[in-house]
Amino acid sequence: MTTTSTTDFPDAVNAPAYPTKRDEAWRYAPHRELARLSFGPANVLTGRLPDKIDAQIPVLEGPRIVIVNGVVDHTRTDLTNLPPGLQLAGLADARRDQPDMFAAHVDTGISSADDAFAQHNHAFAQDGAIVHVAAGHHVDVAIHIVDVTLADDTPNASCSRVMIRVDDGASATVIETRIGAGGFGGSNTQTTVTLGDEASLNHITLQDVPPTQVHLSHIDVTQHARSLFRGHLFNLGGSYGRVAYNVHLAGKEASTDLSGLYFGTGDQTLDQQITIIHGAADCTSRQTFRGVLDDTSTGVFNGGIDVRPGADGTDAEQANDNLLLSDRSEANTQPRLEILADDVMCKHGATVGQLDDDTIYYLRTRGIPHAEARRLLVHGFAHQIVDGIHNQILRDWIGERLGDLHG
Amino acid sequence: MLHVKDLNVSIGETPILNGLTLDVGPGEVHAIMGPNGSGKSTFAHALAGRDGYKIEGTATLDEADLLDMEPEARAAAGLFIGFQYPVEIPGVNNMYFLRTALNSVRRVRGDTEIGARDFLAVAQEAMDLVEMKPDFLNRAVNAGFSGGEKKRNEILQMAVMEPRLAVLDETDSGLDIDALRIVASGVNALRGPERSMIVITHYQRLLEYIRPDFVHVLVDGRIVESGDHKLALHLEDHGYADFVNHDLNDAPERSLSGAAR
Repeated sequence: MTTTSTTDFPDAVNAPAYPTKRDEAWRYAPHRELARLSFGPANVLTGRLPDKIDAQIPVLEGPRIVIVNGVVDHTRTDLTNLPPGLQLAGLADARRDQPDMFAAHVDTGISSADDAFAQHNHAFAQDGAIVHVAAGHHVDVAIHIVDVTLADDTPNASCSRVMIRVDDGASATVIETRIGAGGFGGSNTQTTVTLGDEASLNHITLQDVPPTQVHLSHIDVTQHARSLFRGHLFNLGGSYGRVAYNVHLAGKEASTDLSGLYFGTGDQTLDQQITIIHGAADCTSRQTFRGVLDDTSTGVFNGGIDVRPGADGTDAEQANDNLLLSDRSEANTQPRLEILADDVMCKHGATVGQLDDDTIYYLRTRGIPHAEARRLLVHGFAHQIVDGIHNQILRDWIGERLGDLHG
Repeated sequence: MLHVKDLNVSIGETPILNGLTLDVGPGEVHAIMGPNGSGKSTFAHALAGRDGYKIEGTATLDEADLLDMEPEARAAAGLFIGFQYPVEIPGVNNMYFLRTALNSVRRVRGDTEIGARDFLAVAQEAMDLVEMKPDFLNRAVNAGFSGGEKKRNEILQMAVMEPRLAVLDETDSGLDIDALRIVASGVNALRGPERSMIVITHYQRLLEYIRPDFVHVLVDGRIVESGDHKLALHLEDHGYADFVNHDLNDAPERSLSGAAR
């Protein structure tokens, strides 16, 4: 195949289809910044990791894999005392040391890799993590995967992959923390989740890369019968922080519950792109997303419910509420519903509002200073989402990050 | 305690209060009664510091110039306003709200803050006063509360904040007789030699439960009559007609003779 000279990449063969502002899903993306990034092989870090990076990582009990610029950092990775039924390994290590396991994991699940950045990830992600929970095992400890991007002088964007498979009747909790340091740069992560029959996964994403960086994330989930996926997103960092969920309810009576909080300050754009495909009968899906937008930040919620033929008995709900803290911030919310089945229950609702002056006044008459009154109300608004997290260490981490007085 | 002199308040170009003067001494309970639109609530919120008022005159609480202060500073100075329409705050826990409020004023006053555990005892005492069940503290502030629960929550806040001066704006509105009794007994329990109260009400009913030391009639933004609790009884019988749309110079004599019956 050849490309014509009118494209941006006249010499490239198989030039990937870079999205533009005309693509609905990429309407609010900073295309100029994305074009400045080079999404190539990982820039392996040669120097020392800054100490402050360690301070940013929530300290959880249990195993963890730390990936720095797309490569597993073994000094920060802890794979000791893995509970029974859990296989956890770095992707490159598994390819070298456990080729059978590696082969069993790659190419499982579906992929939403229909944009250039996802294709970059597939092409360049050499490392990452493999999580496998064997049938019937309940892993109690949280599995922590930390993706660190240290931008150096080159505008490099690191790629990494996380593959999670929870077999029939098994359960686990995976926390993915994305952080970084340095100047302009980016990260491009791909998470693939496959849940067997009656499997369940609690999956928490803490996106908190520095405001100098761009973060692109795909989370693709395939669910078999009666499985349960609980996704919690805290989309907080980056000049552009984008998290795309693509959930395929492939087996009957599967259930997915996505909730998320995006909290924008400065000139951030925080973008959630969600598609839930109801591909089997009697599945349930929930999307509950809240945005707090201050300064000149922009929030995007583009939430799709796609009910395929035969997915009768679908029960789907979507809610997106936004709180604008500044008259220069912006919330964009768009539901996309496509229903091609019978006996379907589909609900969606969206709100955009501001802090209520009467409420602030009420709090101030109780002696609570103006700034604290605002914080209290913002916390109250975010409460519903933060409350879905039961791990106290994570709650504290999130609370601290939100400047929350609860601690 | 509280000295209000020649208070003029307007909203936009509309004058609401026209030279209101009132002195409240320590431990005194004053009732302000008046017809709808006479400026009762505006008086409460002008003292509390609501935005949007153009204000002239003076109002001092224990020598502090209230009108010069932010609302939160007025609370720290010892002022409490019981709202006619308490605001619902979903997602904010009642207990956390109460503790934040108390510690905010304690911080300004230079007192040590009260930790979560010690606060529970403070809250429990206040809850008993208004006959609240413990789960009340774990709910969001006023969210989904009944009218009576909201008013009881106001009194609960007052009990926790221990103000020097409490201004209760139509605390009796929307209450059934049981709730009225609970609210009133809470208020009475909080009366003391160092705490003054201004009870704003449309009806005399509340004053059967809270016996005021003084009753004032507010009409067209100024106090046109003052007396003891018997004045309230007179108003109950005759309404505000005596004070509205007629020569105010005649009003005192007539109303006093009425009150003296």
